[in-house]
Amino acid sequence: MSAVPARALSAVVDVDARHAPNGHPTGNSNGHSPNPVLDPVYALPFPKAALPVLRDSQLRKNVAHAIDVIQAKRARLVEEKSDWQALRAAGARIKDEALEHLDTYLVQFDERCTAAGGHVHWAADAGEARRIILEILREEKAEEVIKIKSMTATEIQLNPFLESAGIRTYETDLAEIILQLGEGEPSHIVVPALHVNRSQVREIFARRMGIENLSDDPRALTAAARSYLRQKFLKVPAAIGGANFLIAETGAVAVVESEGNGRMCLTLPSTLITLAGIEKILPRYNDLEVMLQILARSATGERMNPYTSLWTGVQPGDGPQKFHVILLDNGRSPILGRRTERQTLRCIRCAACMNTCPVYRQTGGHAYGSVYPGPIGAILTPQLMQMKHAQSLPFASSLCGACYEVCPVKINIPEVLIDLRAQVTDLERKGLARFFDPMYLGMRAAKLAFSSAGLFHAAQKIARVGMRFFTGKDGWIHSLPGMGAKWTQTRDLRGLPKQPFHAWWTDRPDRTDRNDQNDRQKRAAR
Amino acid sequence: MSAAADSRSVVLERIRAATRNWDRAADRSAPVHAEPSPNYIRRGAMTAEARLERMAERLREYDAEVVECAPETLVAAIETQLTASGRRSFVVPEGLPKDWLAQRFDWKIDDGLTSDAIEQTEGVVTACFCAVAESGTIVLHHGPMEGRRIITLLPDWHLCVLRESQIVETLPEYFDRCAQPPQFITPGLVTSQLVTPRLVTWISGPSATADIEMTRIKGVHGPRFLHVVIVRD
Repeated sequence: MSAVPARALSAVVDVDARHAPNGHPTGNSNGHSPNPVLDPVYALPFPKAALPVLRDSQLRKNVAHAIDVIQAKRARLVEEKSDWQALRAAGARIKDEALEHLDTYLVQFDERCTAAGGHVHWAADAGEARRIILEILREEKAEEVIKIKSMTATEIQLNPFLESAGIRTYETDLAEIILQLGEGEPSHIVVPALHVNRSQVREIFARRMGIENLSDDPRALTAAARSYLRQKFLKVPAAIGGANFLIAETGAVAVVESEGNGRMCLTLPSTLITLAGIEKILPRYNDLEVMLQILARSATGERMNPYTSLWTGVQPGDGPQKFHVILLDNGRSPILGRRTERQTLRCIRCAACMNTCPVYRQTGGHAYGSVYPGPIGAILTPQLMQMKHAQSLPFASSLCGACYEVCPVKINIPEVLIDLRAQVTDLERKGLARFFDPMYLGMRAAKLAFSSAGLFHAAQKIARVGMRFFTGKDGWIHSLPGMGAKWTQTRDLRGLPKQPFHAWWTDRPDRTDRNDQNDRQKRAAR
Repeated sequence: MSAAADSRSVVLERIRAATRNWDRAADRSAPVHAEPSPNYIRRGAMTAEARLERMAERLREYDAEVVECAPETLVAAIETQLTASGRRSFVVPEGLPKDWLAQRFDWKIDDGLTSDAIEQTEGVVTACFCAVAESGTIVLHHGPMEGRRIITLLPDWHLCVLRESQIVETLPEYFDRCAQPPQFITPGLVTSQLVTPRLVTWISGPSATADIEMTRIKGVHGPRFLHVVIVRD
């Protein structure tokens, strides 16, 4: 029996995956895949959440196409960089240095950004960050706000919060518009709507923007988004965005993007709010010479993304004259305390790990039940949840190591996954589950059987008799009841041989040493 | 205010508590730290000619229009581009040489124009701080000849004048140039020795998206057309 915990194999048939246990309705009216729950507190365990996706061949096709394209572009551009490995090492070293002195650099950033005219806020958790943002918007009497794509904003579930407080949010990144208008959820951290194809986008835009005769040509769809947003950019008084990098040395913030919606949000409104995780800090301006080289290549397979913007506080006469930065902890700081896990915070959110991951390729992002899917999500989400939720994610990996190989800041994701698996198991062993969980019962039974030759042989005999009922004429077991079904549902199991190795060795006809048995008994007696 | 001040100390204390017991010596022997000091390529090896060729090649890959000219034909080259664009009204930064502005076009000099006024223009003409050949990147520091960020954002058509001497091969070379005294910088730009810039925009081709089925579409919100005049000086 494999040592993989039951959790990882629990892709059982009797799950009604269309309804989350918390009562969240997960189906939507238009007959597409059920809406996923991306809150780790309520999300289904990974194997159950993955089921509806595995049955949705259209979605799998969309995901596979998108990541094939990105992967090929990334591979070509990484190939041409003869110093790629040196850049990765430098990227890792810069982030490690930033994390090692995180308190110093954050304080420095706070001081320099403030000196440049910015307002720096600190938020210990998601709730505090949301409150700070709402307060700023209320003070500015902003009833509408335009948004730059920010995974951190999605992490703190900002949009539903602002909407419930009466503030309309307008996503401005094309993929985020698709999701916002189509009431979908992001399934990727760089290309969040990669699971939606052009005809689905056409349907959403035609319905929500009220455009008749809209073609499904991506050019026409992009033009529709452009005109939909143009007036918003010019009129809405406040913008919210994330940050790719915070520069401690100068107090500057950098945002990396492609469409120009980021530049619009950073330049046109009178108030700008930047929400950034505390791990986004870089010590020096010059550190960007490494980061900007590795980020775009890893994320979108470009030498440089079309637009990168950097600004320092407030610039009189140019751009927003009120600028706020919120430094968000929300579960990040405890990660620094564990030596293996700490590297998780190096992540620059390029998504190369999910693009290369064989598991992500099959399941897409929604199965991870978090805004951070894929391998990085599998290690980041449970840690942000202090291991209280999303415990199935560290098992959502084959440990093949492809994610580590492509990571531009050399996060050894498999190493962290294994450590987190151990943490999950340790937690479970302290709980009552160890008395009921078939895996733990099975493990204890196995321990007993393996500790004595007599018991082991007896167990083998019983198993051979028992398994005979399930073994087909071809020597394979195609279907097992109960727990065993978790194995045979997706693969066959070799039936037990008529004779175990031990018995065959003893009875083999071509034995040269007929006294073998006697010798062994003598040795044992000694 | 006191709540905010509290969170600052709460977060800092959490970070300090988590990092206090780091075994820093052990960390240094971990694989990442065991590697040699940064040995990525900082300086390129190309000749000035090859650098210019590479820059033009990359820009063309981004669907940007590239023309070359001599310093004495710059004004004519700009005018040719403006005429070919079929556009009439252009916005320019305050510091742009006035002889670049051919008389038969409508020029709006940005001395603090409203966004609506800039939105009405059909194009923009600027200089730049530097260009990185390897990635075909134009770097704006938003000095007097580059203008406020908004003028290179709202108009649909951007003509950028780039001097050959402003082209570097690698991105790290741009960072080196930031630390140099300002003789490399656009003529007319008065600045201190410390050039760590407050505002930077790195532009690598026109605005683009690949959000729908990874099909690259040029021109979402930023300028859809980028024209570059390279001055051989």
